[in-house]
Amino acid sequence: MTETVAQKPKRPLPKSRVMVAAQTAKVYQDAWDAKARGEKIGWSTAIFPQEICETMGIPVLYPENNAAAISAKHLGDDLIAYAEGQMRYPMNICSYARLNLALAEKIQDPAYNTADPLLPSPDFVLLANNSCTQLMKWYENLSRNLNIPIFFVDCLFNYDEEKPAAYKVTYIRKQIESYIAEMEKFSGKKFDWDKFLEVQKRSQINSKLFDDIIQLNTRVPAPVNGFDFFNYMSCLVLCRGKESTTEIFKQLKLEIEEHIANGTTSFPAKEEYRVHWEGIACWPNLGHNLKTLKNYGVNAVINGYVTAWNIVYEPGNLDSMAYAYATSSTNSLTTETIMNMRSDTIKKFDCDGMLCHVNRSCKMMTFHIFVGRNIVEEKTGVPCSNFDGDQSDSRVYSEAQFETRVQGLVEIMKENKEAKNG
Amino acid sequence: MVNLDSLFNELDTIAVNPRIALDKYLVSGKKVIGCFPIYTPEELVHAAGMIPMGLWGGQTTPSVAGQYAPIFTCSLLRSCLEFGMLGKYQGISAALMPMLCDTYRGVSGAWRVGVKDIPLIAFIHPQNRKLAASREFLAAEYGAVKTKLEAIAGHAISDAAIKNSIGVYNAHQAAIREFCEVANDHLDVVTPKIRHTVMKSSHFMEKGAHTAIVSQIIDKLKQLPIHQWKGKKVILTGITGEPDDLLDLFAENKIAVVGDDLAQESRQFRTDIPKCGGPLESLAQQWLDRTACSTVHEVNSSRGKLIVDLARKYGAQGIAICLMKFCDVEEYEYPMLVKAAEDAGIPSLSLEIDQSTMNNEQSRTKIQSFAEMI
Repeated sequence: MTETVAQKPKRPLPKSRVMVAAQTAKVYQDAWDAKARGEKIGWSTAIFPQEICETMGIPVLYPENNAAAISAKHLGDDLIAYAEGQMRYPMNICSYARLNLALAEKIQDPAYNTADPLLPSPDFVLLANNSCTQLMKWYENLSRNLNIPIFFVDCLFNYDEEKPAAYKVTYIRKQIESYIAEMEKFSGKKFDWDKFLEVQKRSQINSKLFDDIIQLNTRVPAPVNGFDFFNYMSCLVLCRGKESTTEIFKQLKLEIEEHIANGTTSFPAKEEYRVHWEGIACWPNLGHNLKTLKNYGVNAVINGYVTAWNIVYEPGNLDSMAYAYATSSTNSLTTETIMNMRSDTIKKFDCDGMLCHVNRSCKMMTFHIFVGRNIVEEKTGVPCSNFDGDQSDSRVYSEAQFETRVQGLVEIMKENKEAKNG
Repeated sequence: MVNLDSLFNELDTIAVNPRIALDKYLVSGKKVIGCFPIYTPEELVHAAGMIPMGLWGGQTTPSVAGQYAPIFTCSLLRSCLEFGMLGKYQGISAALMPMLCDTYRGVSGAWRVGVKDIPLIAFIHPQNRKLAASREFLAAEYGAVKTKLEAIAGHAISDAAIKNSIGVYNAHQAAIREFCEVANDHLDVVTPKIRHTVMKSSHFMEKGAHTAIVSQIIDKLKQLPIHQWKGKKVILTGITGEPDDLLDLFAENKIAVVGDDLAQESRQFRTDIPKCGGPLESLAQQWLDRTACSTVHEVNSSRGKLIVDLARKYGAQGIAICLMKFCDVEEYEYPMLVKAAEDAGIPSLSLEIDQSTMNNEQSRTKIQSFAEMI
């Protein structure tokens, strides 16, 4: 006799999520179709000037986003093991890189279909190092292993508190100009500057819209479970310059406004505490993260990672665009700059604490936490707690440690609240 | 009369304990600028009449650096931060730091909060090196560094002074390269440790003074009869091949080091500073000319070919990959290096370089086995 266990019915996805899934599927399908037609397709780092290929109608996919999706589906471990085994990559390098370098080799076999979503093999890669230097090394390996060219926009690193000097912006702008000319030659397509302006404007509309949406979560209690924002990042990574993203964000905004009007929320418990989540998600462990936070009534109402894709500039002004790409990433700015921004956000979102993901794969984000948590604690008075994890490598995360750290943070937040309320 | 041993000892004293050199310069009234590895424009410091002094960490078990640097920080920079926080670099007027990797991005912040008495002068090399804009950018970046150094020196740094320093540095590089060639004819005298000491010590001395000693060593080596080395020979590649005990393991197993691609050693000295517009442009062009290095973006890295060519040129039977613990830029190149050696039919050996431990037992076993294999 088979015992039947009653399954808790899954909540239906909101319409905006369905739209995201459809958009993502279309981006992948467009790339596969182009590949089948013999056209060139590219892979790109997440904060690359995507406006150029968007303008030229050249399909581009994003390995960081793809690695996150594969990891969230618990399909990354075999690829990571392959990279460390057969391919000899040391286990200390970024797990997105390990996963993707293995995948790039695996998909050369047309019969390979284990990963999901599956990417077509690229004919070129687009590299911007604003998120980290490891991206540069990762893409060098892709280029070498697949024998394909790199189009590179070196975005430098803003090691001082001051804004980037004019000569730095000029260097980046000249690279974008050179990249446009090179891509024209490589693709055989003429660059349409009028269309480029439209794509830039669309990118700005989408960035602004997403920022407006994030700000809605300043309300107490928050209308959105902060983790939900992770589901919409792909819109800005994959489709920052597309109208379909505008439609998704408009729908999302409607849904949130509806929550506000009805006094409801997508957070699946009573919001006892509000925290700022620092760092990339632990994609293989999202379920456990969320379950634990829910059990303690902790809503991670905001995190710096989801806002990293807002590339704000003046359309038609390449210097302004160069400046934006040099300064948008969390990892392109000093710890002091980032942690001052985080402190402001914590105050604005009325957070009771900060939960920091010491991500084994991301050195720069980890340094921000180690060096900068004092800044946050001093400026805001809220407690910070660290836990160990990884964006893709499931071996690093410990459920017990996460639970203990959340518990410890909750205890301090509780004491603080009681003291505040007399 | 000065003999080879006393020259080697003089350099060894400095390489083992750079503080001795630092104190000597400070006592003489010189200002000293710390120079984080690698490719820091020391020539600007030299031209200002100050002493550029390399910061290469050292064997230590960090006790305070962990406050700001996670455990997976590259071993070398964790040691540097440790020494800085413990005051071991006291007396240095500022530290020049190149933003060559993610660890540098992070350590720049850690240094600012952890080592408040030594101001940081950070700068960045352009990695998209094929555009003319790269040289213009780097010349401007070096100009910004120069302005900060002038404030510390208390006077302007003239173009003539920089040109003079460029001459001193090019002459030094040539001397080191000649030493490495001559050393291979005297592998009975120039042990792996001595070869390393000669190059490492250069990071803690005024380059003209170092050139003078190296020139004497070259002269004295040339006076010796050429030695027919009967043992094995290897090439080293990586960031550093340290500590000395590790190098002694090669000697114990009758293995000589006949060439290297170490960032602390030959990588520093193989690219001359060309004449190219003004002196800042010349220094910038040197960066653009550099190849075969993990910290330099090169679409088709020539490093695999370089180490194989070195091995063939000097008759090395093996290549030892000295992998700095948690150095991601090197780790990304590891598969390429192993494959290059394999394709050339040259055995390779991977050694973990870790400044946080004195235990070389794993390396001992590996080197012993390697000696039997090659």
